[in-house]
Amino acid sequence: MASHTSKAFLSLGRINVSGVGLQKSLSRATYATGVSTHTGGGNKGHPDRGGQRQGFIKKQRRTSGEPRTAKMAVDQDWMSVYPTATPFRPSAVPLPVRMGYPMKGGVPPEKMGNLELMKIPNFLHLTPVAIRKHCEALKSFCTEWPSALDTDAQCDEHFPVKVESTDYLSAAPSLRNPSARVVHLRVKLSSLNLDDHARKKMLNLVGERYCKDTDILTITAERCPLRKQNHEYAMYLLTVLYHESWKTEAWEAEKTVADMEDYSWEESPSQKNILSMLIRMKVAGEGEEEEVREQLLGRKEVQEYKNSVVRLRNEGESESTILQYKEAVKKVLNL
Amino acid sequence: MALQRLSFRLRQTVTHVRSLHTSGCGQQQAAEAVESEPEPLSVFRTRENDPACHSEQHMGQYYTLPSTHIRTLFPHGLPGRYQQQLKTFNEACMMVRKPSLEVISYLKKTDFSKPSLRYLFYGLNGTGKTMSLCHTVHYCYTQGWLVLHVPDAHIWMKNCKELMPSSYNDTRFDQPLQASEWLRNFRITNEPFLSKIKTKQRYVWTKRESTEEGSLLGQLVDQGISRVKTSSDVVGAVLKELRLQSGQPESDFRMAVAVDGVNGLWGRSTIKKKDKSPVESDELTLVYNLKKLLTKDWTGGAIITTLSQTGSLYTSKFDYLPQELLGERGFDSMDPFLPVSVPNYSEKEFESCYLYWLDRQWLQHPLSRTEEGKKEIIFLCNRNPSLMDRVCASL
Repeated sequence: MASHTSKAFLSLGRINVSGVGLQKSLSRATYATGVSTHTGGGNKGHPDRGGQRQGFIKKQRRTSGEPRTAKMAVDQDWMSVYPTATPFRPSAVPLPVRMGYPMKGGVPPEKMGNLELMKIPNFLHLTPVAIRKHCEALKSFCTEWPSALDTDAQCDEHFPVKVESTDYLSAAPSLRNPSARVVHLRVKLSSLNLDDHARKKMLNLVGERYCKDTDILTITAERCPLRKQNHEYAMYLLTVLYHESWKTEAWEAEKTVADMEDYSWEESPSQKNILSMLIRMKVAGEGEEEEVREQLLGRKEVQEYKNSVVRLRNEGESESTILQYKEAVKKVLNL
Repeated sequence: MALQRLSFRLRQTVTHVRSLHTSGCGQQQAAEAVESEPEPLSVFRTRENDPACHSEQHMGQYYTLPSTHIRTLFPHGLPGRYQQQLKTFNEACMMVRKPSLEVISYLKKTDFSKPSLRYLFYGLNGTGKTMSLCHTVHYCYTQGWLVLHVPDAHIWMKNCKELMPSSYNDTRFDQPLQASEWLRNFRITNEPFLSKIKTKQRYVWTKRESTEEGSLLGQLVDQGISRVKTSSDVVGAVLKELRLQSGQPESDFRMAVAVDGVNGLWGRSTIKKKDKSPVESDELTLVYNLKKLLTKDWTGGAIITTLSQTGSLYTSKFDYLPQELLGERGFDSMDPFLPVSVPNYSEKEFESCYLYWLDRQWLQHPLSRTEEGKKEIIFLCNRNPSLMDRVCASL
């Protein structure tokens, strides 16, 4: 504790005074003028008891100037206002934005002091101009795209296997994100060398991972902790699938009609029906059964009928397939 | 109730001219008809009551079925709401529509020495498949064919109160109630044939009862109706006889097999055996024998069928295409068949139906006679015949 003797009003250096309000005022006085002026500022430590505000003089507050928006030119450089991702500053954004729920008879609240606008993410730092400038700056670090790969088809031809993984950035204590280990491997089956049996077996093996419309097989690997491991696992899976689908096992001979992917007309009940019907109708001449069968099968109407049935079964029913079937039946049965 | 109001109104109806030989509603009608005979018929009616003579120009018009025909031919074939309409209007008017005209034209061209062809009416719910079937069956009847009409194959696959093991084959089950009812209706429809056709085989029912070879079919049918226990087997015997005899050179009858709701024959059934396992369709005698009739083994007739989603079990409400309702087995059995689509009413047909309702004073609401009202009816029912019937019933 400083001795009271140092109360001497000397403007030499700073005097460490503690606690007593009077001395505080003194200390201020030493900074400012060197003469102690017993202003009412001393009341800071001693608020008046009993709440008499008569003599309470507010501390000096600087009045705020006009907002920055008032001084903005129309063709200003916006990047200097919002160079990075920053929360919404109503005084810096010259747009008359309103946000919030309009209470009874009112409108959404204005932007000044609007917490909702501040909470949401904004992309004011990513205007097209800004992005263009970023790209220009990054260009010097990029290598050129190979000129030979100018169409999608070319890319597919030279690089049929596409591997996709995602990197994550966030401002958080840790840099790591567990979702970054996921690897998607996409390949078009048409670019693989598969014959008919191999293709069917492959489709059976992969099941849901194949998309019929785009002919793309997608293998997603996420069971290993690192991206590199997942990538290698996905490549391994692709290799194994390819080689396994080319092999034919002994038990594959037990494949039944219900397992077949496509409807095949040969040896189907439909073929038997139509042949027996035509034989009964004695459409073809008399002869050996085999010959008659061959002859009937070779007929144009029967071929049309076969096409319509195959279409009906494979493509599913719709008005057009049913009509086609009807026409074919009419022709075959000579109606 | 609408019915009472309507019958009251009918007495005071001033209708357009109608043919004299239709079932009349009273002396007033005849009087009207006599004095306005030379006037042309209204747009929606046709005088041509013989289905054989219906053609493209009659499309969309109503023709009247004679009541005698109704009683013999359709003891069990018509849709429920249509039967109520018959009673209300006291006349049976059916619209001539494209699907049935198409099938009738094929029937006219059939070569009876070739195996019988199968025709299938398909379409959304309530578009008139059963009515088209009835129209075609009426044609067959007027041509003197033997009509084997199964009104709804679904009733043989569900709600069976009495299920007995078959006496003929242990693995199968009988349904005596349904079988005897069907035999009764069959007898009503085909009276003239029953005394003409003779059985070719001997059938032994019990130790004491048997039907000898060469006896009349009528006797066989009577046997089935009186001895309800054996009725399912009698049905099987009848179907077998008809199948063997039809198309033979010595028989002079043609057979029309009409099955409504044919998709039920290959569907699942809700009938359960004693150990709660469901019964397969092939284990029911009636269904088994009927399926034999639907094959193409026999000649001299035609098979006309419809699909029906309304009575079918375990099918989605929106299924209506043949393959969806028939299933794989059904499609393979019916293949090759001719699918005939039955669509909603066209504009002309809708007009026709609307004018008919107006004519019969069925539309009581004053606004229903205006253009606005008509547009509203079109909007509500999308020209679907059964929906239109229900919508207009409350007007």
